[in-house]
Amino acid sequence: MSTDQEYRYIGKGISRLDGLEKVTGSAQFVHDMAFPGMLYGKTVKSPHACARIVSIDISEAEKMPGVCAVLVGRELPYKVGIYMIDKDILAKGVARYQGEPVVAVAARSELAAEEACAKVKIVWEELPAVLDPREGLALAAPLVHPELASYSYMKGVFQPQPGTNISHHQKIRKGDAEKAIDQAEIVWKTQFYNPPVQHVAMETHTCIAHALPGSQARIWTSAQSPFTVRNLFSACFGIPHQNIRVHVPYVGGGFGGKAGIHLEPLAYLLSHKAGGRPVKLTMTREEEFGTIPSRQGLYSQFTTGATRDGKIVSLIATYIWDAGAYADYGVNVGRAASYSGAGPYEVPNCRIDSLVVYTNKVFGTAYRGFGHLEVLWGIERNMDIGARQLGLDPVEFRRRNVLRPGAKTITGETISEHTGRVDLCLEKVAEEIGWSGIQTEEERAQARDSGKLRGKGVALLHKAPAMPVFTSSAALLKFNENGSVDLLTSITDYGQGTYTALAQCAAEELKMPIERIHVPWESDTALTPFDWQTVASRGAFMGCKAVMAAARDALQQIKETAAQILRAPVGELVCRDEAVFVAHRPEERLSYREVVMGYSYANGNSIGGPVIGRGHYIAQGLTHLDLETGQGLPALDWTYGAHGVEIEVDLETGEITVLNLATALDVGQVLNAQSLRGQIIGGVVQGLGSALLEEFRFSPQGRLLNAGFVDYKIPTSKDLPRKMSQHMILTEQLDGPYGARGAAEHPMISIPGAIGNALCDALGIDFFELPLNAERVWLGIQRQRSVLQNTLPRAIMLPQAIKLPQTVHLDRGGG
Amino acid sequence: MLHEIPLYTISVEVNERTYTEKVPAQMTLLQFLRERLCLTGAKEGCGVGECGACTVLLNGKAVDACLVLAVEADQASVRTVEGEARDGELTLLQRAFIEHGAVQCGFCTSGMLLSAQSLLEKNPHPDQEEIVEAISGNLCRCTGYVQILEAIEAVALGREEGG
Amino acid sequence: MIRPFKYSKPRFLREALEALEKENTRALAGGSDLLVEMREGKSQPEHIVDVKAIPELSCFSIGKDGITIGGQLSLNELADSKELGQTCPILGDAVRTVATPQVRNRATLVGNLCTASPAADMAPPLFVLNAAVVVASKAGEQRIPIQRFFQGPKKNCLTPGQLVLRVEIPPCSSGRGVFMKKSRVQGHDLATINVAGWANPQDGSLRICIGACGPTPVLLTGSDELYQRAVSRDELLDGLAMLAQDQIAPIDDLRASAAYRRHLVTVFLGRMVRILFPEEGGTSRAS
Ligand SMILES: Cc1cc2nc3c(=O)[nH]c(=O)nc-3n(C[C@H](O)[C@H](O)[C@H](O)COP(=O)(O)OP(=O)(O)OC[C@H]3O[C@@H](n4cnc5c(N)ncnc54)[C@H](O)[C@@H]3O)c2cc1C
Ligand code: FES
Ligand code: FES
Repeated sequence: MSTDQEYRYIGKGISRLDGLEKVTGSAQFVHDMAFPGMLYGKTVKSPHACARIVSIDISEAEKMPGVCAVLVGRELPYKVGIYMIDKDILAKGVARYQGEPVVAVAARSELAAEEACAKVKIVWEELPAVLDPREGLALAAPLVHPELASYSYMKGVFQPQPGTNISHHQKIRKGDAEKAIDQAEIVWKTQFYNPPVQHVAMETHTCIAHALPGSQARIWTSAQSPFTVRNLFSACFGIPHQNIRVHVPYVGGGFGGKAGIHLEPLAYLLSHKAGGRPVKLTMTREEEFGTIPSRQGLYSQFTTGATRDGKIVSLIATYIWDAGAYADYGVNVGRAASYSGAGPYEVPNCRIDSLVVYTNKVFGTAYRGFGHLEVLWGIERNMDIGARQLGLDPVEFRRRNVLRPGAKTITGETISEHTGRVDLCLEKVAEEIGWSGIQTEEERAQARDSGKLRGKGVALLHKAPAMPVFTSSAALLKFNENGSVDLLTSITDYGQGTYTALAQCAAEELKMPIERIHVPWESDTALTPFDWQTVASRGAFMGCKAVMAAARDALQQIKETAAQILRAPVGELVCRDEAVFVAHRPEERLSYREVVMGYSYANGNSIGGPVIGRGHYIAQGLTHLDLETGQGLPALDWTYGAHGVEIEVDLETGEITVLNLATALDVGQVLNAQSLRGQIIGGVVQGLGSALLEEFRFSPQGRLLNAGFVDYKIPTSKDLPRKMSQHMILTEQLDGPYGARGAAEHPMISIPGAIGNALCDALGIDFFELPLNAERVWLGIQRQRSVLQNTLPRAIMLPQAIKLPQTVHLDRGGG
Repeated sequence: MLHEIPLYTISVEVNERTYTEKVPAQMTLLQFLRERLCLTGAKEGCGVGECGACTVLLNGKAVDACLVLAVEADQASVRTVEGEARDGELTLLQRAFIEHGAVQCGFCTSGMLLSAQSLLEKNPHPDQEEIVEAISGNLCRCTGYVQILEAIEAVALGREEGG
Repeated sequence: MIRPFKYSKPRFLREALEALEKENTRALAGGSDLLVEMREGKSQPEHIVDVKAIPELSCFSIGKDGITIGGQLSLNELADSKELGQTCPILGDAVRTVATPQVRNRATLVGNLCTASPAADMAPPLFVLNAAVVVASKAGEQRIPIQRFFQGPKKNCLTPGQLVLRVEIPPCSSGRGVFMKKSRVQGHDLATINVAGWANPQDGSLRICIGACGPTPVLLTGSDELYQRAVSRDELLDGLAMLAQDQIAPIDDLRASAAYRRHLVTVFLGRMVRILFPEEGGTSRAS
């Protein structure tokens, strides 16, 4: 383990670099930007889940005052998509979800654009919709994308199944799962459901696009990944990369929802059609819910086998993702969640089938945790249910199965001492909540008289970044005349504190005060160096690695110049306190300022030159997963963790109060104590939203009913646990910067599982569906009452609502 | 529908400067501040009073600027986040927000600051419950609120130094 | 986006009443309902009459003959009034559950009633306090009992040209009230259900009103007799629960199912009765 003492900046609670601009209101978000002559875009959206566009009449809209451009889908011979190129910029022929943009208008004011939209006449013919992915798997189901076979997609990674609604089928095969189940001493089955939810970044999606002469485009966008926007934009329109310039200033939250490309192509086309005036396209909060992608829903099903003494021998899991109308990141969520799809446990035999299924709903994308919150809801509840079947304490059951050094993951990776210690996380949270085992029925009966029952639960988590094997970052350290440094990166800091961590890293490596490191708050694909994407908790990890390399490069340049001046070999020079000197004669020193712009001798001869440190990092050693078995090395770093909670349940109303919530993460090393704590608390509270409150509600016709804060509630300052604590385990990641691992997504994963387990401890009732809102808990209590009254044996209740189809055609077609 | 959009002359004091402007009736105070005066510190997170990102002080009271018409602010005084720091000197609250890690993406920050500021001006030493209540109309998706509450508490307890 | 409209802010009641006679004209108080409706395109008035400069709507008095709250009084002005808090705590209790601090700085009590949402949080306390709404038109003033004011979901009894001046609450020194609200989160939310109860041991009256369980708030009929007859708290409670289940008509919506609402009503009636009559068995009117 590394000790903090070695570092001047790493591990300290350095306050954010951007704090000043943000507390004074001067930080500019795209939301705040406007250009001379700028127009405003608005869209007409499909009112139906699935419908054929019979006709569109825009003649009146075009005549409205202030209108400069009206666009319809049939004019646009383009398709976009990140892994699967399946989406029209405006619906063409059919609209595949309610909320899908069909017509777009650019006008001189938002009001004019909206009034023009109101004049568009569309004749629809409603078509049968796929609203449940399980039904979408049936042979007779309507096809959301009958043209699936014709789409291009990332080959060798994804496996769409033409003729079905499956956009990707991820398989994991380790050992012989079926045989091991047949031979297992104890077998249990469970199934679970997560509804689709939204990211709810406070800044909705917004962008300004400017179509310039000569096929040039400039884009300012509230996005996480400027280079991904540029790359997909280029692919969509066939405009060469160098002609496209993407700017990302301050971003008001992303959480994965701004990872890819969204409004930019449409804004660009409007600008183009309006004669090259810049066009701003901003989602209202309602559109943010109903038009912009969300987190997809999941039906999960587990068959688990174990020995009588509590060793898991086999796990068969099926994940059916409610991906919505387009693939976007959803296919990769279905892939990435599968290779974590057995939880942080050693499972000798495993079979996972993860099916990403198109439905006629708002589509899914990346969301903090990238599928892991969803699968771990089931996995961690399944562990507690299994422990009960085995007569074991759930903590003890986990202890016997967690991944330890020497164990093999389900994709065949061998865990080492440096991979991280989930067992320590488990022990820590168990201690923090005073875990003393599941309550007995007698204990519950006693508590029941008071009307409020308490329960405790734990849940483990793990996640590695989900990213292509070639993922890379770059950084430039550009010295200024006074010896200060501009740090250039295209990682986006939309609140995580990455830039502050990078500045800490640069200051540490360059041996200079952090006050002299400046990170300009705008990424610009023309000026800042390439970075793949800011997603997957990889920003600080890979960004710091690139900064460290850039610092080495800069110091080498400084030393090379200094070596000539000091007439000493480069190898004898050291840098400290913004100066370079000969190791054994510190008094012979040159300040950085004297060297970084070049050095002039007394006679005027000059040497050296502006120092620009250049560094990059590319993910090491990752492999593609075998398409048939899922075997391979998908993970840059695994971050393990655990939550322990104590809750109180109001038996009469079903309301849950979280009394205590302890989180332990094996982060390897703390880069910035203050932002890490902020990431954990923020993630935990977001996880509580998923656990207790948040879900999309659809009408039977597939219309989203709660597209707004009135009926989609997220936690407020009044909805916090009474107590929260955060605990760091520091098992050095050998190739991590200072031994650190990513930790931004992890805090929200497994919050639902921990709460669900505590709820079961309190009530003796299993819940299988999220969110655990008061009414659902109350219903569970009601059901149990009737079960008790009929004196049925208390078995695991499989809720009626979530039956999987009898025949899931897993291996149909393709593959 | 109206054929001619009538305009109304309003005179509003914003951060101690008086502006006299002609505005249409449907323009909200939020639009007026952001689009007319280019004071973009107040944000629109929902436009319907649910999120508090647009919070400003209207005659000293925290309000959602998205639910106030600009014409209603005639003869009123308005404070926005841009007017809080004086001569480059941050308020105690602004400083506490930075020091306590109360800011992540920053989109909710100006609204949070003004809600907290109005509490502290009315009640310089609020208890925890009052602090929680004061920012309960300001949604923040990033921080989980704890560090924001800690920053406000530090000022309330006089732990944040003046000067 | 809010569509264009004409705005006026009359300083004389007469002017306002005249303006309100015109078609498609709406009064504007705090705007927290009206501006949201307009933004969402649910209403598109051509004229807006801002009532915040009309002197007749600014009254606020608390005295022996009752409480008067004018149409300009914001919810937070009520919450901040110590006198009101002492005289009639149930009102402050209800106010503090409405919306957010920012909204309460603008939203008015009268506006809350005028919107006539079945879930309006200020309605149940005013129902049990036997409040009346004073309405002006060119023909003069009219005092309308609050129960009659609520006509249906989002429907009050006003006709064009009418304006609410104030709410009047009869003296409430002899009695005790409770307000309770259940919503989905601890933070701001509309009521899943809300209930208010008022017991006056002196005249033997017990008034109970339940919101968000029917087209309008439901003032239970028959609660007085129950109160007078019941020999124990439990008996009273059982009786009230039965009355309530008979008289409410909740629906399934996004906030809750009808069944859950029915259940909550029983739960909250129980909690309320236990507060109103803290002693076991004692519904005694002498206490
Ligand atoms: C974020 C948010 C949260 C909310 N939460 C709650 C809640 O928890 N509980 C709750 O009950 N409500 C809630 N509301 C609704 C709203 O705040 C209240 O109904 C409020 O009291 C309305 O008052 P107002 O002054 O803003 O009314 P306005 O919007 O000005 O007016 C409301 C209606 O009354 C009419 N009107 C106003 N004054 C008069 C008058 N003097 N004479 C005749 N007609 C008149 C208007 O024309 C309009 O139709 C919430 C609103 C928002 C935006
Ligand atoms: S924008 Fe005003 S409250 Fe959300
Ligand atoms: S800091 Fe991002 S919403 Fe509060």
